[in-house]
Amino acid sequence: MINSMQKALIKKDIKSITSNKRMLSVILIVPLVLTILMPTIFILTAHFVPEDAGDLQQMIDLLPQTQRGVSMEQMITALMMNNVMPLFFVIIPIMAASVMAASSFVGEKEKRTLETLLYCPLTLEQIFYAKILASFIISMAVTLTSFAAMIVVTQIELLLLSGELLLPDINWVVILLLISPAISLIAITMIVRGSVKAQSVEEAQQRAAFLILPMILLMVGQLTGLILINVFILLVIGIVLAVLALIYMRSAMRKTSYEIVLK
Amino acid sequence: MKAVITNVMSKTYAQTNKALNRVSLSLSKGEVFGFLGPNGAGKTTMVKLLNGMLTPTEGRCWVCDIDPSQEPEKMHRIAGVVTEHAQMYDHLSGYENLVFYGNLFGIRSSESQSRAQSLLEKLGLTNARDKKLGAYSTGMRQRLSLARAMIHRPEVLFLDEPTSGLDPESVHSVNQLIKQLAREEGTTVFLCTHQLRYAQEICSSYGLINEGVLLADGTLEQLRSMVFAGMTVSIKADGVPPEFQSRGSGGQDYEVKVESESEIPPIVKRIVDHGGSIYRVTSKRMSLEEIYFALIEQGKGGDGK
Repeated sequence: MINSMQKALIKKDIKSITSNKRMLSVILIVPLVLTILMPTIFILTAHFVPEDAGDLQQMIDLLPQTQRGVSMEQMITALMMNNVMPLFFVIIPIMAASVMAASSFVGEKEKRTLETLLYCPLTLEQIFYAKILASFIISMAVTLTSFAAMIVVTQIELLLLSGELLLPDINWVVILLLISPAISLIAITMIVRGSVKAQSVEEAQQRAAFLILPMILLMVGQLTGLILINVFILLVIGIVLAVLALIYMRSAMRKTSYEIVLK
Repeated sequence: MKAVITNVMSKTYAQTNKALNRVSLSLSKGEVFGFLGPNGAGKTTMVKLLNGMLTPTEGRCWVCDIDPSQEPEKMHRIAGVVTEHAQMYDHLSGYENLVFYGNLFGIRSSESQSRAQSLLEKLGLTNARDKKLGAYSTGMRQRLSLARAMIHRPEVLFLDEPTSGLDPESVHSVNQLIKQLAREEGTTVFLCTHQLRYAQEICSSYGLINEGVLLADGTLEQLRSMVFAGMTVSIKADGVPPEFQSRGSGGQDYEVKVESESEIPPIVKRIVDHGGSIYRVTSKRMSLEEIYFALIEQGKGGDGK
């Protein structure tokens, strides 16, 4: 349970990000590019020059039979919406979480406010929880807002260009409610854990970059038609990731002490 | 119940660097205790040990019967700390910082706000209330840190060099506040400083530390008795008797050490009877600074610690 003292810390951490224009723009620019600009380019390409989508042929060939028989434009758009875009929603929480977590932990260390925080009547574990939760809230807020923005923009574009809507499939539920939160939690814990030893925000953020690497490989796999994940596999991956995230978070907090944190 | 107890406590860094060596102390409630020594003597290590930020390598300590290495968060509830490394948030105003720390100590927002306002007034920061901390001078920051440490009305206040960077006027207002706290609210103050003259102004007892070793502790009188309990009489005179000649410090100035004030009139009488002229007679007891250096010189702790 979160107590009122932890709530005060979470509120302060969130406010320090939302009131910092530089930090906020860093967190918002990547999602904007990934969820508005990218799908727009896809939709426009599919509408105006669908024959240029030859590179996606391998992947289209892998699509379930039910989706065949529709126009090339519809197929490409569906592919973009349900197979490519979800990957961005794994990258966005990692990115948002890493910026937030690094600033809220190593940032405090750099600005010498961490020691003051340690003198408050909260255990180190409670401080860690509050900080992780603050980063998690920001990360999920950015992710869900990005999703809402993407849906609104793409649906309007599709309606204007082809007069039809293309609603997201069931995979999105698993992605948004299981995989994104789990990945976000892993990234935050990784940074908070690394922050104990890291002396600068950059050093802490670099750790999360390692998490993005497998995501990029996954994306390449998707685009080349190598991997096509269905909802059940996605669900299993989501559950495994969520369990891993919780175990990782708990183990990370047990191994610290004031002495190590302040070093 | 004692406010602070340390029992043969040591702290060794990296297995070789002994920052504190078997220090035993006992502080009563409401005491303003000056923990004095040069930079690197072990003062900050002591504060960190007493606040549970470090774990003793040897021995134990208690603050109001709580062992900070076992229950740090419980101990933090009753303690306030000002150290050079414990800063506040530059992007928040002085007032917002205080309210935040109040909330962090579990104080309700409305109470936290009124407490913040009254502390800002006491420390002369009312005009800077809504200024961002980034625009504060070093002295203002230091005073705000003091307000932050007092926001939850702590029973024990740990102040590590609280007046560094302060102008004389601010030093005066901080001193008044510390004295008032101890007198009116019974707060125990553990004050670390290397400015011995400053400590002598406000402390009721002292611990003198050098290279991690506690040289002596006690009231000023107790410390004096470990070195020299008497006083030095300075006389400016002409035509002094022969026995004073060897005590001259140049020209007409002479210095005589006496055990008590009652020995001064016979000295004056002796000079007058000898036909000498006296221009000035002053007496001075050993200052804390002199005691400290005398103890270091002796290379011993008066009470054997």
